[in-house]
Amino acid sequence: MIVIQDLCKVYHGGFGADTVALDGISLTVEDGEFVAIMGPSGSGKSTLMNILGCLDTPTSGQYFLDGEDVAQLDDDELADIRNLRLGFVFQSFNLLPRATVMRNVLLPLMYSTIKKSDRYERAYTAMDAAGIPEDLWYHKSNELSGGQMQRVAIARALVDDPSLILADEPTGNLDTKTGEHILSTFQRLNDEGRTVVLITHEPDVAEHAKRIVHVQDGKILSDEAVVQQRRAWEVSIDAS
Amino acid sequence: MRLDDVLEETAFSVSSNKVRSALTILGIVVGIASVIVMVAIGQGAQASITNSINQAGSNLIMVMPGFGGGGGAVRGARGSALSLTEEDAQAIQSQVQGVSAVSEERSTREQVIAGANNTNTQIMGATPAYATVHKVEVAQGQFIQPDNVASVARVAVLGPTTRDDLFGTDANAVGKRVRINGIDFLVIGVTVSKGGSGFNNQDDMIYAPLTSVQQLLVGDSHLSEISVEADSANDITSVEQQITTLLLSRHKISDPTQADFNVLSQSDIAATATTITGTFTIVLASIAGISLLVGGIGIMNMMLTAVTERTREIGLRKAVGARRADISVQFLAESVALTFLGGLIGVLLGIGMSAGLTAFAGISTQVSIPSVLLAAGVSIGIGVVFGYYPALRASGMNPVEALRYQ
Repeated sequence: MIVIQDLCKVYHGGFGADTVALDGISLTVEDGEFVAIMGPSGSGKSTLMNILGCLDTPTSGQYFLDGEDVAQLDDDELADIRNLRLGFVFQSFNLLPRATVMRNVLLPLMYSTIKKSDRYERAYTAMDAAGIPEDLWYHKSNELSGGQMQRVAIARALVDDPSLILADEPTGNLDTKTGEHILSTFQRLNDEGRTVVLITHEPDVAEHAKRIVHVQDGKILSDEAVVQQRRAWEVSIDAS
Repeated sequence: MRLDDVLEETAFSVSSNKVRSALTILGIVVGIASVIVMVAIGQGAQASITNSINQAGSNLIMVMPGFGGGGGAVRGARGSALSLTEEDAQAIQSQVQGVSAVSEERSTREQVIAGANNTNTQIMGATPAYATVHKVEVAQGQFIQPDNVASVARVAVLGPTTRDDLFGTDANAVGKRVRINGIDFLVIGVTVSKGGSGFNNQDDMIYAPLTSVQQLLVGDSHLSEISVEADSANDITSVEQQITTLLLSRHKISDPTQADFNVLSQSDIAATATTITGTFTIVLASIAGISLLVGGIGIMNMMLTAVTERTREIGLRKAVGARRADISVQFLAESVALTFLGGLIGVLLGIGMSAGLTAFAGISTQVSIPSVLLAAGVSIGIGVVFGYYPALRASGMNPVEALRYQ
């Protein structure tokens, strides 16, 4: 469960020009929710995402992740949280280009205490869950299509079996059809009980979530449940 | 992060950028190889000089006359004084403790003729003790015998080079005659080559009985050198002191600085030679060391480029849970792996080049184990030193900015 209270983030620019990215945001995300955070660029949604992902620390305010005050943690403890409890999916995939799919998926496990003998089992499960066909497992990741790459990134996010998946514009670099396939994967993961927080500026994408939070100028504009969740097309794995 | 994971990541990263890795380690390879070759050349020179000094005889002490010209202001050449006599030699033999053999010598240079050939060479007036003290062996015939000395015999033993000059390469000279200063000498032996070179070459020499040289060639009874063999290396210093004391009293000289003779041991010469070749080795190794330093800077440059180039990767690794230490260890391991690999190739190349220099260029080399170990250690050290800063930069990156880096 995520609880943030009165979260502020100020970037100190040169010549006294401070930028307020987040201006007192409070938000609670229950376990099992599928939340879309929407807003135009510069609204502070990416900053919010980075703080939620323990990649960045707030200037003021509090962030409790599963009841734990994240502000109290040091660098290494934050790294462990990112490793074990969070899964990231980025707009630009961020795969290791020369490495195989398998290697990319195994990457987070290298920084965990999971036994080497269990790692491949976990990777197979994650790749299945992300919908990566078996014949791609040992392909180089830069030989894949955009949709396939994003599936690898999802598998990588899933491999440590996190409770919270943070997706930053996961469909931003994909065409509409491929984007739908990726969104259907997120919906399936959410159906299986994982919490998904998705950042987007496209209303079409946001409608796939169960709840939409609008952010503008570092403040929450609106926070409402989606009346009719838009289900992505259930598609066969090969299509993407 | 487990050690095997670190090694796997390192192997992956080094091998996925083969050309660049190869070019980077080239600097280290050249540096390490040149250090090894240079040290091998220096050590080889040292070994061959020490060897040739020792070939002149072991535990050898040389007593030579001082400056000629008497007590006046004008000095003659060092060694030109006629101050050493056979009585001095006999006194050393009988009164100095720890002496195993004493060789009385009188040398001169003469034009030597044999048939149509002639040469100018050193004529060494020797006694049988010469062969013992100077480790001279005879290949054919015999060396100067006691009765040759007693009877002022006109016999000669040729060095192999002199034999070649006078009679042709490897010709049989024993039983033939050579003409020295107009006097015929019968060749009774040829010595075994000692492989010397330059002046005072023991292969380019004619040995004749001491008395014959003194009476027939130079016309006086002085000695040009007394060579003393000590019982053991430990006796050398004591024998040197005893000889000095004895000769000072025999020559009635109270001030040692006014001595009309010089006592020099082989170890003194060897020590001087070692100092010279040691300096030579250090100079060579320093020059090679500079190239190693340049190689190290190359590693740092490459690692810094890699850190910049892989900024997004670093951000990603941090996002999926890499700690600071994981990142720095990864980059440090990479630079150490590169330098270690470079060091390894460099050592092999250095050993190969040293062997090649000896085989094809005839330069004597000696690859020393310490220099190989040092080179290997230094190459790993370079990896740590020059990889540390890039690794620190990588681990200190802010993950948000690193992920956003284009």
